[in-house]
Amino acid sequence: MMRGRLQPWLEERLPIADLIDALRHKTVPHHRYSFWYYFGGMTLFLFGIQVGTGALLLLYYRPSATEAYESVQFIMTRVPFGWLIRSVHAWSANLMVACAFAHLFSVLFLHAYRRPRELTWVSGAALLLLTLAFGFTGYLLPWNEVSFFATRVGTDIAATVPGAGDFLVRFLRGGKDVTGATLTRLFGFHVAILPAVATLLIGLHLLLVQRHGMSVPPSVEAQAGKDPGTVRAMPFLPHFLLRDLFAWTAVLALLAALSTFYPWELGTKADAFAPAPAGIRPEWYFLWAFQALKYMPPEVAGINGEAVAVAAMSAGALAALLLPFVAGHTARSRRTVVWLGLVAGAFMTAMTWLALSGPTP
Amino acid sequence: MKRAVTAAWIVLVFLMPSHLAWAQGGLEAATAAFKDDVHATAGLTCDSCHLASAGGGGQYAAIPRTAIAPGCARCHSDPAYMRTFDPQVRVDQFAQYLTSGHGRRMAAGEVRVATCSDCHAAHGITRVRDPRAPVAAANVATTCARCHGDAARMAPFGRDAAPPVDWSASVHAAALVKRGDTSAPTCNSCHGSHGATPPGVADVATVCAQCHTREAELFRASPKNAIFEAIGQGECLACHGNHRVESPADAWIGLEEGAVCAQCHDEVLGGAQTIRTVRQQLDRLSAALSSADAVLTRSEEAGMLVDDGRLALREAREHLLHSRVLVHAFAEKPLSDMAAQGAAAARRAQDAGEDAMRDLQVRRRGLSVATLLVLAFLATLGLKIRRLP
Repeated sequence: MMRGRLQPWLEERLPIADLIDALRHKTVPHHRYSFWYYFGGMTLFLFGIQVGTGALLLLYYRPSATEAYESVQFIMTRVPFGWLIRSVHAWSANLMVACAFAHLFSVLFLHAYRRPRELTWVSGAALLLLTLAFGFTGYLLPWNEVSFFATRVGTDIAATVPGAGDFLVRFLRGGKDVTGATLTRLFGFHVAILPAVATLLIGLHLLLVQRHGMSVPPSVEAQAGKDPGTVRAMPFLPHFLLRDLFAWTAVLALLAALSTFYPWELGTKADAFAPAPAGIRPEWYFLWAFQALKYMPPEVAGINGEAVAVAAMSAGALAALLLPFVAGHTARSRRTVVWLGLVAGAFMTAMTWLALSGPTP
Repeated sequence: MKRAVTAAWIVLVFLMPSHLAWAQGGLEAATAAFKDDVHATAGLTCDSCHLASAGGGGQYAAIPRTAIAPGCARCHSDPAYMRTFDPQVRVDQFAQYLTSGHGRRMAAGEVRVATCSDCHAAHGITRVRDPRAPVAAANVATTCARCHGDAARMAPFGRDAAPPVDWSASVHAAALVKRGDTSAPTCNSCHGSHGATPPGVADVATVCAQCHTREAELFRASPKNAIFEAIGQGECLACHGNHRVESPADAWIGLEEGAVCAQCHDEVLGGAQTIRTVRQQLDRLSAALSSADAVLTRSEEAGMLVDDGRLALREAREHLLHSRVLVHAFAEKPLSDMAAQGAAAARRAQDAGEDAMRDLQVRRRGLSVATLLVLAFLATLGLKIRRLP
């Protein structure tokens, strides 16, 4: 009865029928690499979990050096299901970074960045950088010993930027050193600025995905006789959406298990006057860069070694961001991109492994 | 003729390059050491000590050992002069030295005993607060042991050389040397420095009470005090010894072999029941602490936060420490009250740990139910996907 009245009322005001109709007609290519399509949706799902659990944590979290640690402790021990919400938030952040990397590398290896999807790639790469920024800014928020010193080491790296280094460090820290001002600042980035930018970018990314559809890898195209129209496809609604839902549910179950068996630990409260614990290191997704910086000599051709490494990494990130515009369209250039991607992936994996085999704090 | 040959021989020996080199080397070493000397910093020179001691004869002379302390005292006992360097500097060192075992023997002409330069060095003197100084807290024992740990040196004075070795095995040495706690007692903390003298049996408790105030208070109010005084027993020494003060253990309290109480008490003598009760109280509290610690550790290893439990456990541990101090009352009552408070705190810690373990089980059961539901949902979803055209 209610539905009978509500549906026409809504249809008169919102283009729901058009949207459903568009989704019913939308198809997704179905081939042997289709599995990789799900990582984009999984990243988006985990972002949704981050927003939900983050909003719940905000009800109790207090962003100041004197109260942050205690408020997280309160959430973990006193708030009903607080331990679950915080652990899901932390684990989901890590899975989101992993999914975002998997999505980026799958798009790279399947050459989905090609014309006309250049802007889809750029917005996606920017979203990966934003995800890392979310991780960096959120890491300090519990104000524990490890996060405090890791943030000090992390923000120190900005000092190597020639000319603007000092300004960048002050900008990130809100002063000369990591203090309560840094916490408040990073909290602001984490819950306001980054989510706003991320929402806009996700909107753009999804719009572009809808506009251009899923890319078909060149090898599949070649097999299908160079005609994308002959590639098998499945309806988005319900075929692809149900498979997406299957993956999301599995991820949700994994999150619940991780949070129950390995609740995210809080550690000891940060003490600015205490000596840094041995083997201090950042989150796993920054370890490759952290380890690479360690291997740099103090000077390279008379220039600060760290500055050279930071410049090289920044150039790599910029090249990755602008990949569709710098990579060629020939089969040979695609092979080069695959090899470069493999080298970058192997380098990051090796550096991460080396860092993980070092001492732990 | 014979005398002339001897004289010529002596002159020749003195002129030999090796002797000259030795004399030159000694002078160079002294000059080099004096560069870092606190006196050089204050503007004093070699003449300040050497010419003055030689009566201003214009020639450096080795200062006789009996003249060293009076020589130092010319300045260090002069308040007006010393104030020009440091308004708070003490000037009673020489007066104290004269009352010490070292000073009294030196005044009697015994030059083998210690004087200022033996402890402070001769030419490289640094302030006591300088960690390099031989009289800095961490170095005092080593400095004293140079003589007091040398059996050959101590034998003529009828003293054994064991105290430095014994002290090295003590809790005090562990605190000072291993943990770097400069407030921990070393030789001069009990014996004095410039007025160094062995504390007599009657004074030992006063010496220990400088730091162990509460234990001393309890002991003096206890029935043991009068008994020990009557038999001339050193208060703290009877159970703890002097230089080799070891970390006390609850096992010391008891009537079985090896227990400290058993040195004087047995099942027949009075006090046996008190000894047994005190030991039981301490054992029970220790066991409660261990049990609570184990359950809290298990909870923490499972990822649970049990800060409240840890706080209660810390409180229980403090009560255990206080209970151990109350052993010095040699009575059941104050200790049993304190041990009861400790047991209550340990119970709270245990409860916090057990609650956390129960909570963990609830979480895991909840997860199992949720996982079953999720699996059922996934199976349904999988069937639905397979049935799609």
